[in-house]
Amino acid sequence: MIKKILIANRGEIAVRIIRACREMGIETVAVYSEADKEALHTKLADEAVCIGPASSADSYLSMESIISATIVSGADAIHPGFGFLSENSKFAALCEQCSITFIGPSAKVIESLGNKQEARNTMTAAGVPVIPGSREPVYTPQDGEETAASVGYPVIIKAALGGGGKGMRVAHTPEEFVTAFQTAQKEAQMAFGDQTMYIEHFVQHPRHIEFQILADQFGNVIHLGERDCSVQRNHQKMIEESPSAALSEELRKKMGEAAVRAAKAAHYTNAGTIEFLLEKNGNFYFMEMNTRIQVEHPVTEWVTGIDLIKAQIRIASGEKLSYEQKDVKLTGHSIECRINAENPEKGFLPSPGTVRDMHLPGGKGIRIDSAIYSGYTIPPYYDSMVAKLSVWAKNRKEAIRKMRSALGEVIIEGIDTNVDYQYAILNNPDYVAGDVDIEFIEGFEYKK
Amino acid sequence: MKLDNMFKKTNSSVDKKGYITLGRSGPMVPEGLLRKCNKCGAAIIAEDVRRDHYICPKCGGYFRVHAYRRIEMLADEGSFQEWDSHLQGGNPLEYRGYEEKLEGLREKTGLTEAVVTGRMLIDGSAAAVGVCDGRFLMASMGEAVGEKITRAVERATEEGLPLILFACSGGARMQEGIMSLMQMAKTAAALKRHSDAGLLYISVLTDPTTGGVTASFAMLGDVILAEPKALIGFAGPRVIEQTIRQKLPKGFQRSEFLLEHGFIDGIVRRENMKETLSGLLKLHEKNNAAWQEKDESAFREKGQNENVEYFLDDRDAWAHVEASRKADRPVGSDYIERLFTEFTEFHGDRLYGDDKAVIGGAARFHGMPVTVIAQAKGTDTKGNIERNFGMPSPEGYRKALRLMKQAEKFSRPVICFVDTPGAFCGLEAEERGQGEAIARNLYEMSGLKVPVLSVVIGEGGSGGALAMAVADEVWMLENSIYSVLSPEGFASILWKDSSKAKEAARVMKLTAGDLYDLGIVERVFAEPDSYTRETMGQTLDALDREISVFLHKYCCLSEKELTEHRYSRFRRM
Repeated sequence: MIKKILIANRGEIAVRIIRACREMGIETVAVYSEADKEALHTKLADEAVCIGPASSADSYLSMESIISATIVSGADAIHPGFGFLSENSKFAALCEQCSITFIGPSAKVIESLGNKQEARNTMTAAGVPVIPGSREPVYTPQDGEETAASVGYPVIIKAALGGGGKGMRVAHTPEEFVTAFQTAQKEAQMAFGDQTMYIEHFVQHPRHIEFQILADQFGNVIHLGERDCSVQRNHQKMIEESPSAALSEELRKKMGEAAVRAAKAAHYTNAGTIEFLLEKNGNFYFMEMNTRIQVEHPVTEWVTGIDLIKAQIRIASGEKLSYEQKDVKLTGHSIECRINAENPEKGFLPSPGTVRDMHLPGGKGIRIDSAIYSGYTIPPYYDSMVAKLSVWAKNRKEAIRKMRSALGEVIIEGIDTNVDYQYAILNNPDYVAGDVDIEFIEGFEYKK
Repeated sequence: MKLDNMFKKTNSSVDKKGYITLGRSGPMVPEGLLRKCNKCGAAIIAEDVRRDHYICPKCGGYFRVHAYRRIEMLADEGSFQEWDSHLQGGNPLEYRGYEEKLEGLREKTGLTEAVVTGRMLIDGSAAAVGVCDGRFLMASMGEAVGEKITRAVERATEEGLPLILFACSGGARMQEGIMSLMQMAKTAAALKRHSDAGLLYISVLTDPTTGGVTASFAMLGDVILAEPKALIGFAGPRVIEQTIRQKLPKGFQRSEFLLEHGFIDGIVRRENMKETLSGLLKLHEKNNAAWQEKDESAFREKGQNENVEYFLDDRDAWAHVEASRKADRPVGSDYIERLFTEFTEFHGDRLYGDDKAVIGGAARFHGMPVTVIAQAKGTDTKGNIERNFGMPSPEGYRKALRLMKQAEKFSRPVICFVDTPGAFCGLEAEERGQGEAIARNLYEMSGLKVPVLSVVIGEGGSGGALAMAVADEVWMLENSIYSVLSPEGFASILWKDSSKAKEAARVMKLTAGDLYDLGIVERVFAEPDSYTRETMGQTLDALDREISVFLHKYCCLSEKELTEHRYSRFRRM
């Protein structure tokens, strides 16, 4: 069993991991940059090692410093959290070379899933649906029509050298195809001097649905249901929930099985997440697999009752999963809001600074994961997320009410936050009706 | 709120009573996985350093490279053949403990001595090579090192091979006393013969190159390159500080310092070293294939020769003067960039400094290796200040002469672009012999055994211009001028009134048309109405065509015919 863990991260996730360790009786080593001397994770851990200056590249991304800190502090494992080195196969390989347990999948698995084409091939072979498209370049509308029919309408025609929307057209029906293809190709010729085109199925108004996976070192793989992360701005998730309002029991089973197949095909171990795009008609496509713990893991913990960080540590220690798929029941509904130090009225401009005073909600079914405290100065060098507020209730309707109530109680003085923006979303009729896709925020009008 | 020591520690389940667990080894860094950068002190992954040319990924500092690794980084795979690998020196002073020390080093490094020599291919070009290895007594030069280098040079001379030596050394090897000192003379002498055979020697200076090695083979390259920030000097910085009892300035004796002081041709980053060396070798290959190709195409284009139109209008001479000085007029670097390919700039006069008012180097003209030298103005105020408004100092003329002599050695024609208000007029210029430098160029250029062409592209200011215009032919652009003095100076001397420059311009006969009529120049090239970088295309085409014809004509002449022609060209004036 692991006795001492170095947490190669900062902020609320580092605190979250330290807490799990404390509960398990595992000693903790925090690492911190010069800018994080006063950070909560630095103070809460049993030991703390400074690993370099403020810039991430010289501290939280410095593999050599983190390995050295591990050896010096006598830790036997590293938990990488999310971001930073968490999906860096070179770092995982270094840990392996130094006999340090990396809490996550093997370097090899991280590498092969990090390679988009390789991951796509693995998934196709395992019968996990990927977005259908032409593998070969297409040069004429005649060849294109054939490909388009095989990938299924609507299709998107893309220039091989494309970018910025140039040389890109959507054809919804076969009738539209030839014109769309010719226009796109002409544009590509003018913009890039190249006529090479690719054709892909066009996924319309999809939802972002991801499945949480746990896999042990003995080949046992289970999924812990889905999270719906469709509310996102510039690919940054804002609100996540579980279960998704869009999944029937039948579809959940189908997607869950696909996720388990995907993880098995990748020879995955530890906690991971399979991301899918889900179309209104129920078709879903594999996007990528995240080989780490996710920011939004608390919603899964709420509805399954499983502590994912502890599960990660147990798997890395070589323990067998203590539950089977049939033991996993999704109970009630959970929602998480990310609270960021940013100003939505100034284009979400980050707002670092000192937290003068604060009050955070509590009570039954309310959870705060945060690394800020009264008097703490949020440094400007890192991610702007300062807290995660998650709630649990019997059903979605009650969960929404609870979240509104909880958000309405949050006071963080001294910095700007997106709390009011989140509150507005929670009151949006489309959101309340569960009618969202990944373009929801684009169409969302924020009124304070 | 202060949180220091506020939280309770983890209630650990681990039994803290010390006992040693058997059979399980805890985390440890395997030998050789990490290493420490001796520049910035950071721990770095050894594999990253190896893969990235032994450069620290954190601070960009250079690690010293072992000889065989250096060769591996440069040579085409499997092409290196080592010479004299077993050669060892003696103990001429019978210095106590020396032999044991050498034996120990041989065991530790796997080297027999501090230099590895042999033959290799770089991108297909063969070269003799010698690489010093600092692990072996700081690659100091004793009998064995001197002998191995000398033998490599001799063999290169015999086999007609270019030579590349990577220097890195603490200097002469003290344990071998006077015998070490003699190696300096021996290697230098061998290099002289190699050079006399018309062969190329490229010296690459790496950190550190000092003492007797700097004062012998390292500084004798036709081309001398250095790695960034390498320590290069004769006396070591500590010795100098102790002697003069002064602190040395930052950057003293580093590559950049030497470049500024005119002792090296350029600084080459390690990742570009192979490409740079390969380019230089190819440029100096005998019987350049491209050369012959050029020969034929020049023949083909010869017919167009007659169609070259030059154009002389009746504009006022002053208008030409103003046009020649216009801020947006193309400058020397524009011609280099657009008429030639693969231009490699060589810096420094090897005496005092590198004058930025003169740009020079080797390049190809339609594949044919040539030496190009241009008096250089800047394209904006900042650039003009850097280039001293195109007014060369003595070191500029001396650099030009050095490159012309180099061209002569390698039978490359010389093409000069003249554009200067005049040689730099100042205290320092006089101290370093401005007059001597100009005179020396006139003297040496008259006897240069390769074709020389000079093109006046802007201002041809007096002796400062002539020092790069003792050529087989001198050409001018329509709005360039060439005169014994600036019109302002002329008016000031003859009429005591520099404001009469306009009138002076009229009487001085300094326009291209006047000079053509006087027989001072052979050719005048038309310019469009507004001659700028954007509109120079046609003029460049004409120049390109005519340079082809020129090269064809003069490259066919024997050395004697060439110098005779040049002599009589000026003799009749």
